[in-house]
Amino acid sequence: MAKVFNWQLGREMEYPYEAPRPERQFTMIMDTNKCIACQSCTIACKSTWTWGRGQEYMLWNNIETKPYGFYPIGWDVNVLSLLGTQAWEGETYGGETVFEAAPDGERVLGWSPDEADWNHPNLGEDEPTGDGTVTYVPEKPHSMAWMYYLQRICNHCTYPACVAACPREAIYKRPEDGIVLVDQTRCRGYQECVQACPYKKTMFNLETRVSEKCIGCFPKIEQGLQTQCTTVCIGRLRLTNFLSTPDKADPRKPADFLVHVKKIALPLYPQLGLEPNVYYIPPVHVPVEYTSQMFGPGVQNAIDAYLGAKDDPELLGLLMLFGATERIMDTFAVRDGIAYAYDEAGEEIVSVPVQEPTIVRPFDYPTELAGEPATGFLHNT
Amino acid sequence: MPDKVSRRGFIAVAGAAGAGVALAATIGALSKRPEAKFAAQLRAVRRDGALPAEDPASDEWLRADPILVKLVPQQVAQPFLGELDVPELSVEALHNGEELAFRLGWDDPDVDDLDALNVFRDAAAVQLPTQLGGTPPPIMMGGPGVPVHILQWRASWQRDLEGRTGVEDIYPNVVRDETPDRVLPGGVAQLFYVGRVVGNPLSVEQRTTSVEEVIAEGFGTATSLAEQRARGGGVSGNGRWTATIGFPMERAPAGARLEPGSIWPVAFAVWQGGKGNRGSRKQFADWIDLELEA
Repeated sequence: MAKVFNWQLGREMEYPYEAPRPERQFTMIMDTNKCIACQSCTIACKSTWTWGRGQEYMLWNNIETKPYGFYPIGWDVNVLSLLGTQAWEGETYGGETVFEAAPDGERVLGWSPDEADWNHPNLGEDEPTGDGTVTYVPEKPHSMAWMYYLQRICNHCTYPACVAACPREAIYKRPEDGIVLVDQTRCRGYQECVQACPYKKTMFNLETRVSEKCIGCFPKIEQGLQTQCTTVCIGRLRLTNFLSTPDKADPRKPADFLVHVKKIALPLYPQLGLEPNVYYIPPVHVPVEYTSQMFGPGVQNAIDAYLGAKDDPELLGLLMLFGATERIMDTFAVRDGIAYAYDEAGEEIVSVPVQEPTIVRPFDYPTELAGEPATGFLHNT
Repeated sequence: MPDKVSRRGFIAVAGAAGAGVALAATIGALSKRPEAKFAAQLRAVRRDGALPAEDPASDEWLRADPILVKLVPQQVAQPFLGELDVPELSVEALHNGEELAFRLGWDDPDVDDLDALNVFRDAAAVQLPTQLGGTPPPIMMGGPGVPVHILQWRASWQRDLEGRTGVEDIYPNVVRDETPDRVLPGGVAQLFYVGRVVGNPLSVEQRTTSVEEVIAEGFGTATSLAEQRARGGGVSGNGRWTATIGFPMERAPAGARLEPGSIWPVAFAVWQGGKGNRGSRKQFADWIDLELEA
């Protein structure tokens, strides 16, 4: 086992390989507060990459309702149960990772979903939980029983469990962008990666009999474009970007700003030790006891920063740039109520108002008032 | 008996024959005779004519000298096989100067002949050095600079020979997606079967053999040979698999020719798919001597 530094845990940890970091790291930011579980992302991914025979059950992207939704069933509670009670000591993780807790003869502490576990990708949809005074109709905002939507793709981890577990070294992390891929020539279909990945985002293709996984839409990334799941998102809650390590964080870069500067976006189950590279703005209405287990010790800080975004033009401006362009932003800036996105050459990609202007239409609003030909019709009829 | 006896074929033939001659002959050929004993030397009996390399039930196997070898769980390279699932393997061999064939038999209560979600196939393999002389290569699939030649029979590939096993066979009641080649031009459609496009032997659409022939230089290095010349067969009955593996004794470019009259190290491995055996989660037998009758 090599010693590697996992900044999400604030400490070194054991990993089977030295695992040098890529030149830059693919990342995705998800604002869980904006998701309505329309599954546009799921369908965009499915219809682009996994619509063939043998891939029927595969959803490289899925949206699940937490706490009762899982794809596959029990993916997170099972690994948490295997790992047992673990503790954070402040911002340093004092417990064991799935690598450190691996049983004798195994590289990773994992479990294998059964066939039936993949059968219900939207199990538990919209099922809330609460304290026994459950009501679907809130008396005041957020007094209701809670549930929220979790957006899931492969985390393109810095220390992937799938890479660690593959006995053939058939899974690799691209040095140019950190995207994790299964080499389709080397894979022998042992499904060790399926057993090892705690997020259960490698999947076995029944027709080609080798494993496949989310490819981070790398053909789009190579053209400077955001992923399919990002660009179709009608809630504009996703951002495809690149993330630096904390010591190299650049506040002009969107992901660095959100993850390292504002610390508003947090990794999913960081305690497992994979240093996952999808970051979540946690739901503001969910008990922090629950979300802290899921996103680590920074949840309250992230919620406070998010709720304060209305008074933070830079943060608000960046959130407005989510979903405003298909191109990958290199840097951003907010000036005079306008948020600007720039490419690597410093050229502007897009600009959006931080606050949309409010326009009140008169009740009678004939088309000619809107600058259109007079039709005799009203816009509000 | 047909030339090629598959598991289903065997059952069909046996069933059709009732208590007749075919069934009696089959049971006779599959029984252990004479009573096999544990031994460290296996004699490949020389005979003339074609070998029953695809027919585990052939009477020709009555000419071979069966032995038993002990299997132990693989616990050298991770991931390990935690518990021994198959403790012993019966082995016999025939050759005709041109082809060498093995018949392997082991207890396995279940037939696992699918590659599916958390579903693994039964399999067995024969391993030989590529060159003769000196210390045999490391038992665990050879080592850097000391390659081994491995031939693995797979129950799922055997099943494929009767018509490729696809989603419609594995999950017959599940709604299936369209095959890309029915809705897209060929070149484009194949992009959706990446394993196939890149020539992964697991992904082959029309299988021609139940045995894969590989060269390895240590764990995780098995590399399929460009030209696959091995053949095999497998039948299951009474909680026991009997499988055959045959291949040319002229092994170029994989290795040196297996000359009649020479003695080679040979090793074996067995996978019980129903217990999650796959890859390095296997039981294996250490090198023994294989004497190729002159």
